[in-house]
Amino acid sequence: MKRLSRLLIPLLIATLVVGSLPAVAAAPNSDLVGTAAVLDASTIQQDRERIRDVLARDDVQRQLQLQGVDADEVEARVAALSDAEVSEMADRLDQMPAGAGIVGALFAVFVILLVTDILGLTDVYPFTR
Amino acid sequence: MNRLLRQPGNARFAGVFALACLLLVLTGCASTPTLSPEAARVLPQRTLIDDVPFHAQRDYQCGPASLAMALGASGVSVDVDTLIPQVFLPGRKGSVQPEMLATIRRHGRIPFPLEGGFEALLAELDANHPVVVMQNLSLPVWPVWHYAVAIGYDRPAEELILHSGTTAKRRVTFDRFDATWARSERWGFIALAPGELPASGDADSAIRAITDFESAQGAQAALPAWNALAERYPDSAMTHFALGNARHATGDTNGAIAAFRAATRADTELAPAWLNLGLLLKGRDDIEPARHAFEQAAMLPGPWQSRAREELASLEQDRRAYREL
Repeated sequence: MKRLSRLLIPLLIATLVVGSLPAVAAAPNSDLVGTAAVLDASTIQQDRERIRDVLARDDVQRQLQLQGVDADEVEARVAALSDAEVSEMADRLDQMPAGAGIVGALFAVFVILLVTDILGLTDVYPFTR
Repeated sequence: MNRLLRQPGNARFAGVFALACLLLVLTGCASTPTLSPEAARVLPQRTLIDDVPFHAQRDYQCGPASLAMALGASGVSVDVDTLIPQVFLPGRKGSVQPEMLATIRRHGRIPFPLEGGFEALLAELDANHPVVVMQNLSLPVWPVWHYAVAIGYDRPAEELILHSGTTAKRRVTFDRFDATWARSERWGFIALAPGELPASGDADSAIRAITDFESAQGAQAALPAWNALAERYPDSAMTHFALGNARHATGDTNGAIAAFRAATRADTELAPAWLNLGLLLKGRDDIEPARHAFEQAAMLPGPWQSRAREELASLEQDRRAYREL
């Protein structure tokens, strides 16, 4: 059995190498230059950026899961983000404003916000109008 | 006034007054946003988009609720419960801006970020496009971030009309709204079906928005948007270039060649347009025109120059091989 495999493995390697040759020889490829590639080209190094983007997408997926997003939703959510949005989220999701629209722990500063509401600077307590 | 302040009984009043002054300094003065004379002349006195469905927010769900309203207005009927798992971040008890845009894309609509502040906001409302806005209803030090949907305005009353929180058609004065909106750097977007375009903004911002949509939803879905954009900006080379790529991706080679040609006419120095044009011409055996396109691309310095030179060299090789036969 060992002998057989010793005999077969070099053969297998050889066929695989030969089999892959036509694909190598067929270059140059005929893929067109993509729109996003041109838009990004002016600002960044493309290949490096692509690697960074793949890493960033993984990173954002992990972060979303940590924030309590369902595992089966995470991938679709990240897929719908643009490259720029992904890298922004990878860099600073913690500091991003998250719209919630709820006046939670703000009662400590109730009086100040009441005054600013009356002055028309804020819009926290609708009853001021 | 002076005499009043000197009386000890009015210390509380003076304190509140001083606090108010301090806050004014801290937050910047709230002043009524002004329109340029041109916009003031063109924009109607009042407008209200009637057919924006209202979804009241529950708990922290102003993000999903705003999305449901914007999508509903653009013809995609989704309920808030479907959107919550797609955009809400339980750990943050809210929704972040990039994911608001991404969720619009998932539902087949293109989010165009609003550019141009208050004037652009009114222009979009006038064009029947509801605008999702992000506000900080409180002060920068204790933020209350909030999404709402602007659906109309009343210039004589200086009021904006929003579906906001649990209130439909809420009226807020221009200056109060602008004070809360300015804290998000006047962030907002409109959601449009592919083929419709915003009333404000320029070609470049629309190209970016449609490209991002295309990356998520594919060329077929984005094609009507590129066609509409090329019609509006016939001189934008990048638009024709993007249209060419979308047509190629959907199998329309002749259409793609026409679009790449239009791109090179609009900007003779757009190297990738020459390169793509050459590749498609070569693909259908129009060798001489292909050579001309590659030559143009090879003359322009930039990231595509080496690829163009390779293509030229390979054409040359083919020719020699053909002669030797």
